[in-house]
Amino acid sequence: MTELESTTADRMVEVSAETFVDRQESRSLSRETLFSVSDLTVSYGGFPALAEVSMEIHRNNITAFIGPSGCGKSTFIRCFNRLNDLIPSAKVEGTILYHGQDLYGPGVDPVEVRKLIGMVFQKPNPFPKSIYDNIAFGPRVLGMKDGLDERVERSLHQAALWDEVRDRLKESALSLSGGQQQRLCIARCLAVDPEVILMDEPASSLDPISTTRIEDLMHELKRDYTIVIVTHNMQQAARVADMTAFFSVRVSEGDGRRTGILVEYDTTQKIFTTPGDKRTEDYVTGRFG
Amino acid sequence: MPSFPSRPGSPMRVTFQEELDELQANLHEEGEFVLRSLRGAINALVQQDVELADEVIAFDDEVDQRYLAIEEGIQSLLARQTPVAVDLRLVLAILHINLHLERMADYCVTTAKLTKLSHQHSPDPALIEGFEDMGARAEEMIRYALDAFARRDAEGGETLVDMDELIDRANRRVVERVLSFGGDADLHEWGLRMLIVSRCLERIGDHAVDIGEQTAYLVTGEFREFTDASRPEDLGHH
Repeated sequence: MTELESTTADRMVEVSAETFVDRQESRSLSRETLFSVSDLTVSYGGFPALAEVSMEIHRNNITAFIGPSGCGKSTFIRCFNRLNDLIPSAKVEGTILYHGQDLYGPGVDPVEVRKLIGMVFQKPNPFPKSIYDNIAFGPRVLGMKDGLDERVERSLHQAALWDEVRDRLKESALSLSGGQQQRLCIARCLAVDPEVILMDEPASSLDPISTTRIEDLMHELKRDYTIVIVTHNMQQAARVADMTAFFSVRVSEGDGRRTGILVEYDTTQKIFTTPGDKRTEDYVTGRFG
Repeated sequence: MPSFPSRPGSPMRVTFQEELDELQANLHEEGEFVLRSLRGAINALVQQDVELADEVIAFDDEVDQRYLAIEEGIQSLLARQTPVAVDLRLVLAILHINLHLERMADYCVTTAKLTKLSHQHSPDPALIEGFEDMGARAEEMIRYALDAFARRDAEGGETLVDMDELIDRANRRVVERVLSFGGDADLHEWGLRMLIVSRCLERIGDHAVDIGEQTAYLVTGEFREFTDASRPEDLGHH
């Protein structure tokens, strides 16, 4: 034993290795509340599509909403940047606090809300303009005209698209592939300095490689942004999300009307290893669709 | 500007890869801890150092902490990332190696406990020398097993069988030595305890061979035992 002398009683305990603690800490999630939802009910034409949802969304996390069709998850995500305002028959009750401020309070400008809280949709929807103009559109409208070229380049970098389009910025955005178009839409969203990116099934129209690119991109973006995603692909939620909310449908006994409800909200690890609610377990194990 | 992952040809599934890397880093660290534990246990035995034996026993919590973190990490990764092919084999190999390392640390604890029980008896110098030798060989095997795993060296994993043969022989020599102790009751009792110590060190070698088998499984995709206990004529021939 060459190290006979060096292994002393002291040395044995002193080894609580920093690296392990670092790794443990790097996995722990941010708990800073960004959105606080209380008792939210959304009705269309007087009938609730989603009822009595309360939850908190944490900053710099990826939060996923999963659940069967009609469970209200898309309705819910649209509340976070007031997109339901655009539907005349929609009525939102309850509160969503954003940094402690009521998103639906008087004096809150929905346009400002949508700048800070951007949305990426299921189907890529670039404007029929050049790649450059797609990104520059928002900043121009909002009067953010200084350093526009840098802003466009930075946004494309952040959306991991720059290297693919740097030599063709003047070409039509419609010439890009579906996956590139979706990253362009993410870049367009980032160009106006948002804080939150809402994604409503952002990869469901993409092939598996493009889907993986979007998922990797989300992981990269959560350092600087808070991401909320609706996905019908349960495995996608499992792969990318820090927190997962499972929504389901409550069928009214009287008239058979279907209303979305929040069943369980927890860390993604918990939801996919030891869910607390039988309904969640049935859904994630594929016993109920 | 940070580097972004999604250029063509750049790595994909970054989060997943990070988690796999983290599991391997934790496993490596657990291995280092087992080595420390083994060295501590042997030193405590050789020097009849009861204090150090206590430290080894307490230190097992550190190993267990890594063991549990790896277990949890694997559970989470399987549930969320659905690994397939080589990734799946890697996760399963880590699952097994984790258990082998934890068992090794337990053998170190047993050795330390027996050291505490036996320290009032004057030890037999020849036996103590034998344990130093076995400890050094066990340490070498653990190191070799973990290195072979890290560099995905299936053949390297299999050479552990030859190394294990040396520990097995040393174990048999210990048995012979203890049997030769004769009439001294104190020495006899001490010797019986030392048989268990010898057995512990011998088992550590077996677990190192098992880690080699996991490495071969990871690389080749086929699991087979290097030696088959039910067909002893195969021992050492591979």
